[in-house]
Amino acid sequence: MSARSAWRALHYSAKRRAIQPTTPYRCFSCTRQASEQAKPDHERMTHFGFTNVPESEKESRVGAVFSSVASSYDNMNDLMSLGIHRLWKDHFVRSLNPGTPVANRPPHAKDQGWNILDIAGGTGDIAFRMLDHASNINHDLQTRVTISDINADMLAEGRKRSTATPYYNTPRLSFVEANAEHMPHIPSDSVDLYTVVFGIRNFTDKQAALNEAFRVLKPGGVFACMEFSKVENGLFDAVYKRWNFSAIPLIGQIVAGDRDSYQYLVESIERFPSQEEFRGMIQKAGFLIPGKGYENLTGGIAAIHKGIKPVTTQV
Amino acid sequence: MASLQRLPAPQRAISSIQLIRPTRLIHTINHHRPSPSSASQSPSTTLTTNLSFKTPSIPIRTYHSQLHPRLPPHEYTNSQTAILTASLPHIPTHGVTAAALTAGARDAGFLDVSVQLLPRGEFDLVLFWLASRRGLLRAKVEGGEVFGANAEELSVQEKIKILVLERLRMNSEIKDVWQDALAQMSLLGNIPLSLLELHALSNDILTLAGDTAVDATWYARRMGVGAIYASAEVVMTRDPTPDLLETEAFVERRFEDKEVLKGKVEGIGSWVGFWGNTVLGVGRSWGLKI
Repeated sequence: MSARSAWRALHYSAKRRAIQPTTPYRCFSCTRQASEQAKPDHERMTHFGFTNVPESEKESRVGAVFSSVASSYDNMNDLMSLGIHRLWKDHFVRSLNPGTPVANRPPHAKDQGWNILDIAGGTGDIAFRMLDHASNINHDLQTRVTISDINADMLAEGRKRSTATPYYNTPRLSFVEANAEHMPHIPSDSVDLYTVVFGIRNFTDKQAALNEAFRVLKPGGVFACMEFSKVENGLFDAVYKRWNFSAIPLIGQIVAGDRDSYQYLVESIERFPSQEEFRGMIQKAGFLIPGKGYENLTGGIAAIHKGIKPVTTQV
Repeated sequence: MASLQRLPAPQRAISSIQLIRPTRLIHTINHHRPSPSSASQSPSTTLTTNLSFKTPSIPIRTYHSQLHPRLPPHEYTNSQTAILTASLPHIPTHGVTAAALTAGARDAGFLDVSVQLLPRGEFDLVLFWLASRRGLLRAKVEGGEVFGANAEELSVQEKIKILVLERLRMNSEIKDVWQDALAQMSLLGNIPLSLLELHALSNDILTLAGDTAVDATWYARRMGVGAIYASAEVVMTRDPTPDLLETEAFVERRFEDKEVLKGKVEGIGSWVGFWGNTVLGVGRSWGLKI
């Protein structure tokens, strides 16, 4: 019997069952109140996984997902991607090669080192790798990273982890809680490198975030984004989809005890635009695209997109 | 029979080609006969066809024709070209490295991070050097600097040799760091593009020298010139003489080798031909139905 109940617990799927609202008590005088409270029909909708939600709601819903996964975020990533996400992140940082080697520095430059803005980097995965690469490979001790995340729980996780790094409590690492679509605290033309790794698919308005990235970057600055994308090989795609929709929610349920959040992750991956579409969005924000504009990782499971803000006064 | 019937008649094939690519035909006509009447009409026709068909300015062709405008030596965008051009003066000091690219980006008014504009990194610098020198060689020949006044008297063979040496002399200021570039080019992923560039160079050299062969030697000639140039480049990196005298002597020897090899191949050809004919004749004299 216990085996059967355990099986039920595992097999409980996160299918969204139609919620039957209990009929509220309605008197004649309440009707007006009710109609005033009703959501306006014309509110813009956006997708949250496979369901559509009003734009105003998506932010809080995504917030709830990431608050619930924050503590087990890394273990889960390891289990879901079989550890490959570490290779992707290492490759991403290595290809960006942050930091200027001391020997190549112009002698009288006024601000040394890069100013990196890591959006949606709450747990600091990318930020610590960037700083490590700058310090150990390029011997650049001035490059600094600002971690920005909309979710306080993810930032708290990052703060906790930063205590174990040499950058804890130094000016090289700072944390900001902000919405990437609107960052008035960051001046225009101030950032060398803007990175967003596995974050942009959760944004309510991706184009607004891209436009904001274009604003804060210095001319010549780079927008770099790593995100789940579309697998190009049909056979591999079938295997990958099967893994995504069957295994990942199950792993989420067993390891993190939270099936719905992982169901959302999988659905949001599925809804994210293809490599070409997203490249078009980056171009639309005004960025120059280097070469093909994206680099597929592991057959297109993830892709690195890059864009460069043009320099207006070209020599 | 069924397969034969499926083939389109020549007339239909031509008309279908015209249907697919009308711009090329109009463009060729305009290019061929720039008479004043057609010139006055052509802008409107080309404009409308361009608008309606949205063909790229330089359509990709699988064949070469003198009537078509030449392809640009490289396909970099303006910003990429700005960074790469500014990086070239840094090659003698920094070598063909990311440091040269960074310094170039800084000179061109970009940031250190802007080298991300070049997805292949250092190899882009190598390719740009090769492509831009190739364009420069062409410009020099068309400006009449290379062959001088007696261009008419030189044979194609002599012209090829002059062009190969001229191209090698363009490398003389960076010959000390060129081994880095050769190493970059020999990486497995970079080999196809390097060979493509070598082919483009040997093709340019042969075209500029006035070589008009369209038979099977077309391939042999390009391979020969490519092999001589590539091996001479390796010799050049170890050449201590100021005017590349050793390299020049090496190229001379290779061209002599090429002549010897050509003679041998021709000799073997005629030998095989002779014995083939003889065997055929003997067989026929015995009454075989050959």
